[in-house]
Amino acid sequence: MSSAAAFLALCLLSAPSLVFAHHGFSVEFDKDNPLTLTGTVTKMEFMNPHIYFYVDVKGKDGKVVNWAFEGGPPNVIYRQGWRKDTLKPGDVVTVKGFRAKDGTHLGACSTVTLPDGRELSAGSGAASLGSNNPGANSGKY
Amino acid sequence: MLNRSRFPILFCVILFGAFAFARAGGLGTAAGNPQASAAPDLNGVWSAPFTPDISKALGHQPPFTPYGAARFAKEDEFDDPLTKCLPIGPARGIQAGIMPFQIVQTPAVLAILFENQHTFRIIHTDGRSHPKDYDPTWFGDSIGKWEGDTLVVDTIGIDDRTWLDTAGHEHSNQLHLVERFQKMDDNNIKWTVTFEDPKFFTAPWSVTLPIARQNTEIMSYSCEENEKDREHLRRTKK
Repeated sequence: MSSAAAFLALCLLSAPSLVFAHHGFSVEFDKDNPLTLTGTVTKMEFMNPHIYFYVDVKGKDGKVVNWAFEGGPPNVIYRQGWRKDTLKPGDVVTVKGFRAKDGTHLGACSTVTLPDGRELSAGSGAASLGSNNPGANSGKY
Repeated sequence: MLNRSRFPILFCVILFGAFAFARAGGLGTAAGNPQASAAPDLNGVWSAPFTPDISKALGHQPPFTPYGAARFAKEDEFDDPLTKCLPIGPARGIQAGIMPFQIVQTPAVLAILFENQHTFRIIHTDGRSHPKDYDPTWFGDSIGKWEGDTLVVDTIGIDDRTWLDTAGHEHSNQLHLVERFQKMDDNNIKWTVTFEDPKFFTAPWSVTLPIARQNTEIMSYSCEENEKDREHLRRTKK
């Protein structure tokens, strides 16, 4: 298996639910308000406590809005294969996630589809550690 | 009888021997921790399954006192100390830190270095007792002793501003933790933690989680580096 294929498999196998390092999901985002948006990446902040990236999205009225998306902690998604340049300004991406409860142009990113078609999990999950883990960690105890 | 002129030399030899014996460990160390030499090696980087709601590991809610039940009913993740970038606390750091932790083990001290917020626990394994007067701290006062393949850690004095998990299970300053780190094999530890707090719970309760070795190193972490969430948070309970 090529490293790219392994990376893709790893991302697809990672937990679909979003897990946040320093706050709960429901205090910021609305699980009943999912969104799918396509646009152009303007900036990536690969920093603690969560990654943020920004995407220019053209609305139905033709107006461009710069959306902010929050993902998992950089440490966690780094171990899943992400790097600070996985998303680069100019990349056209499709983001799936959930909108912030305060109605601002902010969303929690669950997956992002890259220009080459790869769909990456941007959340985090304990399962992501499993592939890097010689111990059982299977709940048998 | 001793020749008086040779006594100082003999005295020095005995003194030197006693000193060397003490340096090497001697009876004092052996009496204080008789199984020190046989203690399993817990050094390494480890992780437990992320368990943000500890009642899921228990299978039901803990046995709340009326006060504990009332506190939990109105608790809101909005008030999570982690959201304010405050320390994670001793048990939550293991079961809900998301990120791995490193154990650094010496005969007298075992340190748990959490990647989460780069905080740490010090567990004294030199045979000491808890201090008589101890003002609560974020990780409490921990003493440990080896029982065969298991490190038994007793912790008191944990600041009641820490939570037991992300779901909002709280505790008082009377929280008493007993943790058992049982080495199962080179890559696995069975971790059982017992929570005792007469203010919040009617009886002690325990959960067991597997801790597994990780092929990784502790990475950098700063909660304040790019914190942008607080202004967007909304209360989930009135």
